[in-house]
Amino acid sequence: MNRNIPARLISSAAAVALGIAFAGAASAAEPVSLKGDVQVEKVVTENGAAKTVLAPPTTVVPGDRLLFTTRYSNDGDKPVDNFVVTNPLPAPVRLAADEGGYEVSVDGGKTFGKLAALTVADAAGTRRAAQLEDVTHIRWTLAHLAPRAAGALEYHAVVR
Amino acid sequence: MTRTSTLLGAVSSLALVALGSSPAFATGTTAGSTIQNTVTVGYQVGGVSQTSKSASDTFTVDRKVNVTVTEVGSSATVVSPGQLQAVSTFKVTNLSNDTLDFALTAAQQSGGSAAWGGTDNFDGSNVKIYVDSNGDGVFTSADTQVTYLDELAADGAKTIFVVMDIPSTQVTGDIATVVLTATARAGGTSGSMGAALTTSATNTTGVDTVLADAAGATDAANDGAFSAKDDYKVSAAALTVLKTSRVVSDPVSGTTNPKAIPGATIEYCISIANATGSATATNISVNDPLPTNVTYVTSSILLNGTVSGSTCNADGTSGGTFASNTVTGTLSDIAAGVTRTLVFRATIN
Repeated sequence: MNRNIPARLISSAAAVALGIAFAGAASAAEPVSLKGDVQVEKVVTENGAAKTVLAPPTTVVPGDRLLFTTRYSNDGDKPVDNFVVTNPLPAPVRLAADEGGYEVSVDGGKTFGKLAALTVADAAGTRRAAQLEDVTHIRWTLAHLAPRAAGALEYHAVVR
Repeated sequence: MTRTSTLLGAVSSLALVALGSSPAFATGTTAGSTIQNTVTVGYQVGGVSQTSKSASDTFTVDRKVNVTVTEVGSSATVVSPGQLQAVSTFKVTNLSNDTLDFALTAAQQSGGSAAWGGTDNFDGSNVKIYVDSNGDGVFTSADTQVTYLDELAADGAKTIFVVMDIPSTQVTGDIATVVLTATARAGGTSGSMGAALTTSATNTTGVDTVLADAAGATDAANDGAFSAKDDYKVSAAALTVLKTSRVVSDPVSGTTNPKAIPGATIEYCISIANATGSATATNISVNDPLPTNVTYVTSSILLNGTVSGSTCNADGTSGGTFASNTVTGTLSDIAAGVTRTLVFRATIN
């Protein structure tokens, strides 16, 4: 694998440092940074016990379970409000589990809600309860992000 | 696999979504597809909406090689001794996420447990592999002899016939077991078998290969191959022939206690029995050249008669022919445990 990551911006310490660096010059025009990452969950047997470890996506085949992570930070010196992170699911993956903490969309991002409350039309024209494989988008909403605040948003998915 | 991670500025997320879409297959996402995950954030500072930001991460889906071979019919192929082109049927399914070739080999098992009970104890000859070209599931002259399956698409399956000849010396209950092994080879070039596949030792730029097949009848897991067994079980007809005769009448005593003197009428009974547990015998032709000192009684042949115990009932229907001093008759099929007779009369010269 060629892991080609130009800048690893978002360890939390680095985020703070960058935040300071930009504070004067950019006057917080774009105070927010995002960083996407993906890892593969591999089950390895260690001393006879099965154990799940996270590995870089060097080898990914259908059926593999992936952990998508989005690290965010407010690098500015002003608080950020209504921080809404929208993540369309890549077509070749399906959501592995409804882990909560986010809303989902089953209609291409038009409407969002809890998965249990959503329905989709089936072939017969009636509506059925939405399933994990129907999910097209995930959305996290953070009402308030203090200056220098950083965190990570995660979801698990399985390669179709 | 190549992976890039990019930090994007204010970019429309709609364009990025399109890049991530690719068709989904039951066997999984096609090898070489990229999976791009893009997140977009909208936010406000001091109550003012700011330009949204995006970040994305991309990696490539590798080639997962998986194949199964199943025996079709779940029972041994019943064959006769000396049968030519006895057929066993298999199905090869490409469960990989890529179009591949599959090398095919049919091996004769040497002893050991057979697929459907019993023990392998003989080998057939002239073993050949055919693909069901017209997809009718039946071995016909339209089917093509092959050594590999060419360009079998993801999720694709082909019916394979293993065809061999049965030695004429085999007896009922003999079993020949064959093992069909399909080994994944690289696809991409129609008309020729691709290179052997191994799990990539290192992660290269481009699509890596992962052998993810299960263990079959004789192959190991993760070896890119899968195998299944089928049996040829011999079911022979076991015929016994018994010829008896009795004096029906003589010119002196008539039918009362007749003696085998010249001019006496003799009734011959040829009984053919097929042992219990045998295959049904068909096309049974009976030929009996008469001794020179007897003369055939015209139109006396009775076919398909019965016996009571070991006694010939001298019944049946008229038929058969007499030519060149030989009695000839064709009997109906004789199932296991059934006895049929051919009866005729002659006079002593």
